Order: sequence, then structure tokens, then C-alpha cells
Amino acid sequence: MTTTAPAAEAAAAPDERLAYRGPIQRLLIRPEIGALIGAAVIWVFFWAVTDVFGTTAGVNNYLDVSASLGIMSIAVALLMIGGEFDLSSGAITGATGMLVVLLVKEVGEFGGAGFPLSVAIPLTLIFALIIGWANGTLVEKTALPSFIVTLATFFILRGAKLGFAKLFTDKVIVEGLNDAPDHGFWENVFGAVWIRNDHVWDSFLGGRNVVYGVLLTVGALLLIVGVLELMFQRRETPAQARMPVAVVGFAAGVLGLILLAATDGTSDNWLWGIVLAAGGAVGMYGMGAWRYERRADSSAAVNLTGRVGRNVAMGGGAIALGVVLGLILDAESQTEIGFLLTVQGFRAIAYAGLIITGVILLLGAARSAGKTSARTQLAITSMAAAAIVVVAFIVQSQADSRKFRAEFFAVIIGAAVLMLAFGVLRSTFVERRKPDAVADKRGRTLAMTGIAVAFTGLAVRLMWATTFENETIRGEVRWRIAVFYFIGFAIVASYLLLRTKFGSWTFAVGGNKNAARQVGVPAARTKTILFMIVSAAGWLVGMLIAFRLNSVQANVGDGNEFFYIIAAVVGGNLLTGGYGSVIGASIGAVIMAMSFQGIPFAGWNSDWRFLFVGAILLLAVLVNNYVRAKAEAAS
Amino acid sequence: MKKFRLVALLASLVLVIAACGSDDGDGTSTTAGGDTTATTTSDTVDLNQGSDLTFHMVTHSDDGTFWSVVKKGMEDACTAVGVNCVWSPSFNDPSKQVSDIEAAIAAGSNGIGVSLASPEAVVPAATAAVAAGIPVVTLNSGVNDYQSIGAITHIGQTETAAGNGAGLRFNSLGATKVLCAQQEQGNVGLEERCQGAVETFTGAGGVVTQFVGPDANPEEQINTILAALQADPDINAVFGVGPIVAFRAVEACSQAGRECFIGGVDNSEDVTAAIENGEINFTIDQQQYLQGYATIITLYLNNTNLNTLGGGFPILTGPGFVDTDNIAEIKALVAAGTR
Amino acid sequence: MSDPALLELDNISKYYGNIIALTGVTTSVNAGEVTCVLGDNGAGKSTFIKIIAGAHQQSEGTLRVEGQEVMFDSPRDALELGIATVYQDLAVVPLMSVWRNFFLGAEPTRGWGPFRRVDQEKASGIAKDEMAKMGIDIRDTEQAVGTLSGGERQSVAIARAAYFGAKVLILDEPTSALGVKQSGVVLKYIIEARNRGLGVIFITHNPNHAWPVGDRFLILNRGKSMGNFAKDEITRDELIMMMAGGAELEELTKELEAASAGDESLAHLAEEFAEEFHELEERVEDDDH
Repeated sequence: MTTTAPAAEAAAAPDERLAYRGPIQRLLIRPEIGALIGAAVIWVFFWAVTDVFGTTAGVNNYLDVSASLGIMSIAVALLMIGGEFDLSSGAITGATGMLVVLLVKEVGEFGGAGFPLSVAIPLTLIFALIIGWANGTLVEKTALPSFIVTLATFFILRGAKLGFAKLFTDKVIVEGLNDAPDHGFWENVFGAVWIRNDHVWDSFLGGRNVVYGVLLTVGALLLIVGVLELMFQRRETPAQARMPVAVVGFAAGVLGLILLAATDGTSDNWLWGIVLAAGGAVGMYGMGAWRYERRADSSAAVNLTGRVGRNVAMGGGAIALGVVLGLILDAESQTEIGFLLTVQGFRAIAYAGLIITGVILLLGAARSAGKTSARTQLAITSMAAAAIVVVAFIVQSQADSRKFRAEFFAVIIGAAVLMLAFGVLRSTFVERRKPDAVADKRGRTLAMTGIAVAFTGLAVRLMWATTFENETIRGEVRWRIAVFYFIGFAIVASYLLLRTKFGSWTFAVGGNKNAARQVGVPAARTKTILFMIVSAAGWLVGMLIAFRLNSVQANVGDGNEFFYIIAAVVGGNLLTGGYGSVIGASIGAVIMAMSFQGIPFAGWNSDWRFLFVGAILLLAVLVNNYVRAKAEAAS
Repeated sequence: MKKFRLVALLASLVLVIAACGSDDGDGTSTTAGGDTTATTTSDTVDLNQGSDLTFHMVTHSDDGTFWSVVKKGMEDACTAVGVNCVWSPSFNDPSKQVSDIEAAIAAGSNGIGVSLASPEAVVPAATAAVAAGIPVVTLNSGVNDYQSIGAITHIGQTETAAGNGAGLRFNSLGATKVLCAQQEQGNVGLEERCQGAVETFTGAGGVVTQFVGPDANPEEQINTILAALQADPDINAVFGVGPIVAFRAVEACSQAGRECFIGGVDNSEDVTAAIENGEINFTIDQQQYLQGYATIITLYLNNTNLNTLGGGFPILTGPGFVDTDNIAEIKALVAAGTR
Repeated sequence: MSDPALLELDNISKYYGNIIALTGVTTSVNAGEVTCVLGDNGAGKSTFIKIIAGAHQQSEGTLRVEGQEVMFDSPRDALELGIATVYQDLAVVPLMSVWRNFFLGAEPTRGWGPFRRVDQEKASGIAKDEMAKMGIDIRDTEQAVGTLSGGERQSVAIARAAYFGAKVLILDEPTSALGVKQSGVVLKYIIEARNRGLGVIFITHNPNHAWPVGDRFLILNRGKSMGNFAKDEITRDELIMMMAGGAELEELTKELEAASAGDESLAHLAEEFAEEFHELEERVEDDDH
């Protein structure tokens, strides 16, 4: 018998090892991270160019808009992860809103139902669930694309809304929800509003801004320390003697920040900026020296030749050109210079565009240099940081508002410091390439605590007012219960998706339905429940709209289904199913709302609105893709 | 029993189709004025020379509140002059409108009133009617095409005129800067309304136009108007160029803590209620009753006396205004179905 | 044999209407043994799988599981008796993590009521251990299965079936889409599974993959059984011959020669083909002597 033995050969060959991916990389491939970065960029952008956007009133405004959008896009994201679409998701919001009014109202010659809300609201929910069940069952039974089935549902609902509205009230709008006998109770459930302007909290030592600032700073600090712990290789025994360096450095940085925050914004605050910068950098370096292992190759010579050198030259040139143009051009001039640009606009582009491009070029060069020489990487990173700091000081010296002289300044300096400090640390200490459960746990706990503390700070900022703010925001800050439903639903849905069996099944039926069915996942039931979740979310939004307006127009919600899908996609959900995140979809909804509302806040011509929204959508998706690709390629 | 009926209706989706079907049923041509005319004719003057005249109203109408007033105007005019009138609504379906016009020509109509909401589809049919020697009047929409088809005149309100009126009204209210809030982008009519306001408004701040989101998104509309108000403390008036968006402006102004002058377009029970309790200052009324009434009168006088009303120019039925001064009377008229 | 075989097929046939999909198939699989089912495309392999996986019922013949005669109504019935099927393309959800895939449909939970949640730590730990038993070191069970190599993906499905109490593992063409090295990896996992006492039914069209791991060979051709041999009853070359359908192959060789008249490159190919075929024939004869 002639027998070769490929099996034996294969057994002898080494297993294909899976590359180690650190916690940071694992975090970066989370679908919501790209969206989070996109949201931050858009927020900073509008905060810088408008007066109201960054205030509580502004946040209140776009969170209010994002509430309905967000509730729906969360549900739609779940369904998308499960591999289906629901084009009736927009129409169902109006349909349920209208139905509850019709059930409550005594309507004309046809005779109204005249139900109390306690009956009408559950009936409406049952109606919504039946629609969702019908969608799901039809999709499953017919095996038709959900696009077609739910498109039919959409038209049916749309026609029914108009038809019944006309039939019963002879109008395209049904109204009179507030005539219901038990309206008071249900208004508290679906229509509650809290006006927070009168909750003023501004004594010097216990004032809102102080509490908020402290929480935000502590949160950021914990987050940074946590990230360091996750990124770097621990020493066998920590060098305890160097601990004070870290503590003193961080303390100095915090002090600088506090002093910067306390300034009135009328004088130059470069001293506190330097304290913040130096303190932060020393603190981070001290942290490294205290806890982490040193790189053996950290002394290779600086090498600025070839492509790296060219990129450095281009980046430096772009920044220099931006600064020069920014200095010589008149910031107020409205003279047209062609291509729809004024001198003022050109200056803004020169500042923002050239400098950002320059910094990106420098960071790119630093990254590629880092593969061969840590020192070169560090040198280039320092250049970028220095350039940013210079720009920060120029902006400060030219600006005349407190926002730019203190807040924007602190943000820019902080960003430069973080960039530089991470550059220094990465070129000096060993990045972790192997698992370390203790460090992972500690780092994660620190980082999560940091994020929680920072968010508490933001909540404090939003729920209390200061006298100064009340004077500037021109109006009331009305927190509607819709926003809390939005946040609550995001948490519940995220738990459902990530921690329960049903969540696993959702991923599975969207990722590979046959495989899921093969191992006993009830695929049809899972999808039907997902459709029912969408229509139940539509019911919630319908109630929120009905109780807000006391009337519902027949076309409410029609056409919004695409915005729900867009928000989910911006939030990192795959159109093809099987991958995504509820938190991402929520952030996507906020991004959409911010881009819609930023335009009127900036006073721009709304004709360009969709061009702008399209650009943001594209940018968000690109950032998302880029981050994920980078993270997947890493190590 | 009535309760049961409603629930039963709502519970069954099948009825949606039934409802649609019944719409179509209502939509077929009915001789609305016919019966009354017949009785009136015999009741009143025998010598009425127009008694054998039949006019056709072929419009893109649905059976909403707006068009029911036009129809009432037509009926009243037909009764007054004693002619037969046929009301043919097309429910925004240009092909139905075209076939209704052709039917009217074939029936030897003595005059056709036609609305040109879809000019590219309907203009050829209307031109054919003129060629057949039938007098034609355009109403409601068609101001750009009535001359080319050879109609006697156009009876309606131009959007620019409506905007002009709103601008003047804001002047007299004492507004200094107006936000023209649009609920639809790229809609020519809405643009013309805002543009009209720009032409006549003389306040220091001028008029800024802003798309505030579609009617389908009430929260977005409220918050966009609010954002515009918060971004610009000088704005103290909002011109909502649709009936719904003016309501949204009411809430936005309240949240912004600003005393706004608010104007809207088109009249309905809800708008009259809001004007009555002072939330909205005025609404522009295109007095659509006149569009029905004057069309019949114009056709009648052309038939009996070869008059051409309007002298080749359009006859404007608006802007009329509904505001706090005339709201009490208007309300009674709205209830009577003539406003 | 004192113990009854884990799974026995006795003269199994399947008709779809008047189409004969499978006739007279007899074979068995014992614990700790690999039965290879060989056949070219259209030989009836998928019908064979469907019958033992419970997706279809046989038209004739008997199926015995551990000596007990059975008739499956659904795949669930087969699964309950410990017959698990790993389909070539349907084995895993690529975008899901290793541990979620491993426990998909049977997630361990803890907590109560609305707080009943998947016990991630436990699931992750078991997945890691079970994969280690197959000889794969998964450092990060959060990693998406799609990032694993093709062979490893199959092995996740194999390990999963083994963990959830499969006694008989049906592997549908696990190596057909894989390269040489990856196929080797899968063959290694088949041996691992066998060594753990599972009965394995390995379905393939590649005799080179079947020969080294198989203890028993069932050869199908056009719905008919060409024989059911223990390893000592057949040689590797006979297996190849039989599987390709000797006579047909000879005919094909002739046809190729005829078609290639005048075409030099094709003629060359035909020549090579014929040469290989004759070599194979000779070897079979040698083996028989």
C-alpha cells in the first residue's frame, strides 16, 4: 500500500497563531468609535463657529431633535443588524400618533371612539405590534426582500393615515388629544417637560461650572491613566520613587486648567496655558517612568530623509503658510476674491484647512517613521505639537471672546499636550503586545470610570443653569421626556443586543441566517420580534409627538425612514447586516441632528443644507471605515 | 354602537383599500350645482337667458377643506346666474384632468374653468378646448400659462402677491426682522412667497429665509425655528409659508422667550382658532371662494355679453387677510363654508 | 462486532417522485472511526447527508442509531440522537466573535427575569478550552470568526458539535474550498475528533483527503453505491479509480484525444491525461497481485 500522510504533516506544522490585538485596538474596532469621533469633530466645529451651539440651549435643541430620530434609529439598527429593513418605520410614528387621537376623540358624524387614554394607548401599542408582526411574518413566509414588503406597508399606512383622517374629521390633521379625561396623567408619561433655566447654581465655590469642571477634569485624567495602563507594558516592579513626578505633574496640569477656566477671558492667559501643557506632559512622562518598561531601541538616530522627510517638509510648509496667511489677511474683510469666497472666508480656510492638513501630514510622517526610529517619530510629533501650540497662542491673541481666549485655547493646548505626551511615551516605553489580564482590568475600570465621571459632569452642566448662561442663551431650556426615553432606550437596547441570547441571535440571523438556523436559532421568530421592536419604537415616538402637539398631521413621519437608516449607518451599522451597534446608531442620530440644527445656529443659507448633510454623512462613513481598517490592520 | 363602528373600521387594514376606493367613488364627476340650478331656474326668472348654459370646472382638486370652499363659490355663482355647472375634481391626477377636459369638449361645454397645477400635462387639452371655441378661464394655478393657451383670464392669487401682502402686513405690525420659514425645499411657490415678502418688507433687519424641515417632522421644525431665533436676537417676526409651519413658530417663539409677530398662509379652522386666541397675528387668505364664483361669472358674461374680464391680466383673489380685527366675522363665514 | 455501530445504513434508497436520487446504500460508522463518503458532483452525496441529518426521510431501507431503528422527522430529531452536521459554507457566522459562534443557539445564561443575560466569561472560557483541545490556541475569543483561516473556521464548528454532545459528526466537504495546507489543518481536526471517540462521516470528492484519515469508504456514483469497504479491503489507487468511475474515465481519455486532433496544446494535455490514467491502471493491477 502506498500511503503518504498529509495529516501527519499538517499535525506537525505549527498552528496559525492569531495576532495579539491590544485592548485599544479592540476598542477602536467597536462600530461606534468612528461615529463618536465624527460627533466630536462636528460638535467642536459648530461650537467654534456659532454662539449658541455649545450652550445648554444648543445641546437642548439638537438633543430634542435627535430624540425621536434616535429612538427609531436604535430600533432600525437592531433590525439592520438582523439583516432586514423596515421602510414603514417612518409612517408608523404618524399612524400610531393619529390613531391614539382618533380613539380618544369624539369625532363628528361618524361617531368617535371616545376612549380614555388608558384604553387608547395600549390599543395603539397593540396596533403597532400587529403591524410589526405582519411585516415580520410576511417577510419570513414569502421570503421576499423586506424592502418590498415594508414598502407596501409604508404605502398602506400612508394611505390609511390620510384616508381615515379625511373620513373621520374631513381634515388632514386630527387634533384634540388634550380633551381626553385622563390626559393629565398621560401627559406626565409622554409629554413631561422640565424647564431648567430657573435652577441657577452659581456661587463661586459650589457653582455649576466648578462642579462640572472638576468632574470633567477628573474624568479625563482617569481616562488618560486608564488608556496608558492598557497601552504599555508594565515593569516587573514599579519604580515607586518616580511616582511623585507623575502626581506633581498631573496636579500642576489640573491647576493650570483651573486657573485658565477661572480667567475672565479679557487678558492673555499664556502662563496658565504653559502650566497646563507642562504639567500634563510631565505627569504622563512620570507615569511612564514609574510604571512602564523602557524601549531598548529608543536611542536610534533621527532620520529625516526620503518620503518621511518630504511629508515633514510639506506638513511644516502648510502650517507655516496657514499661519502667515492668517496673520496678514484681514479677519473682518468681506471683499470678494472669487469662487464665492470673501477675504474673511479665505482666511478661515487658510487657518483651519492648511493647519489641519499640515498636522495630519506631520502625524502621518511620524507614524511611518515610527516603524524604524522611535526618535524620529518623537521629533516629528513634537513639531506637530509645537505648531498647534503656536496656532493656539495666535488664535488667543486675536480673538475677542472668552470662548476663544480661554475655552478653545485650553482645548487646543490640551490636544497638543496629549499628542506630544503620547508621542514621547510611545517612543520611550514598550507598547504591550501580549495579554495582561490584571492590567486590562485595571485600565478598563479606570477608563470606564473616567468616562462615567465625565458624563456626570456633562449632565450637571446641562441640568443646572448659571446666571451668565441664562443671559446669553436667549430663551428657555426645555428638557422633554423624549430625551430621557431616547437615552433609556439606548441603554436597554444595547443591553439587549450585547448581553442577552436574543442579541446574539440578532447578530447571527443578520450575519448568516442559514448557519444560525442550523444551530437551532429560531430565525423567523427573532426577525419577527425585531420588526415588532421597530414598530413598538414607532409607537413610542408616535405618543411623544401626539402628546407634544396634541394633534397629528397625516404626513407626520413619512419619509423619515431613510433618516433612521442613515443615522444607523453613520453610527457604524453595516447595511448588509450582522454587524453594528445601538450606541453607534444613537450617536448617528445625534450627528444628524447636530448637522441639521448647526446650520440655523450658524445662520447659514439653508439651500446648502443637504449638500452639507451629505458631506457630513460621507465624512462620518469614511472616518468610520478608516478607523476600522486601521484598527484591523494594526499589529 | 358608533364606538363599535369606529373600532371595527380601524381594526381592519382591508378597509384601507375600501377607503381609497370610496375616495375614487366621490371623485367621479358630479353635477354639484345641477339640481339646485334646475330648481332655482324654474323658481326664479323664466327669461333667464343662460338657463341652457353648462359650465365645467375641471381642477386638480381633492376634497379637502380648501377646495370645498371653491366648489361652494361655484355653486353659489351658478345659482345666482342660473346655469348648469359640473364639478370634476381630479385628485392631483393630471391624466384624469385631461380626460375630464376632453369629455367637457365633447359634451359641448359653454365654458371651462381649469386649474393648471401640472401645466405640461394639462395645457394641450386646455388649448384644444379654446381651439374648439369654448371660452376657458384658468383658476387657482396657471398664471404663467393662461395667456399662451388663450384663456380669457386667470383667477387666483399669485404667490408673489401673497408674499408682498405679508411683507406689508409685517411693516404695519412693526416687525424689524422677519424669518421666512419654509417647509419644503425647492418648491417654487414657497420661494415666491418669501421673495414677495422680501420685496415689500421695510424693517431694518430685512427678511431671512430658512428651510425649517418638512411638515412630517414637527420637532425638527420647532427646533430649527428656535435655533434661528436663538442665533439671531434681532428676529421678531416669523412668516410661515404654509399653514402648519406657523403653528410651529408659535411654540418656538414661546421657548425662545420672544414676542414674535407670526404670519401664515391659507385659512382653516385651526388657524382661525389660533388667530382668535392671539397666537398667530394673521394669515394670508387667497379667498378661494372668489376663484369658484368669479370663474363662473366670467364665463357667463363671456357667453352672454362677450365680455372679457381682466383685460388680459390676471384677476387676483388675494391676498386677503384674516387677523384679530376680522376674525369674529370670518369665523362665522368659515363655518358657513364660504371662507 | 459486539457493540452495535453508532450509525448504520442498510440498503437506503431515496426517490424524488420518479427520480432516483440514491439506491441501495449500505455503510456504518463506529465510535472512534472515520467513514469517508466519496463521490463526484451529482453522485448523491447531498441526498445522503440530508437523510442522515434528518432533513429528508429515506424512501426505502433502514437507519439504525446504536442498534435502534430510527426514522427522522426533522434535523432536530437527528441532533437529539447526537448526529451533528457541519455544512461547508453554513458552519459559522463570520462577523460574530468566536465565543458567540461557539455557543450560538445554546448560550449559557445567568441572572433572573429581565436580567437573564449571557454568561460571557463562562462561554468565553469554555470556547477557549474546547478550541485548545482541538489544538487551536485562541487568545482572544472576542475575535470575529471571519478573521480566522478557513480551516480554523471549520474547526470551530467541529469543536462546537463535539462539545454539545455529538456522537456522530457529519462533515460536508470541509476541505473542498481550502488550499492544500488548510485542508491539512482540517484533516488534523478530523483525526482529533476521531481520537476523542466521535464517529465521523467525512464527505468529500477528494480521495487524497479521504485516504489518510478514513477507516471505511463508501463510494457513490450517480446515486448508486459502488461499494462499502473497510480500509484493509481497498487500496488508495483502487479508490481513486472507482471514485472517478474507471470505465468512464477511459472513455473520457479517448474523447479528449479525438477532440485534440490538430490542436497541439490540447493534444499535449490529452497525452498527459492518458499517461496518468494508464499509470493508475497499472498501479491498481500491481496492488491486486
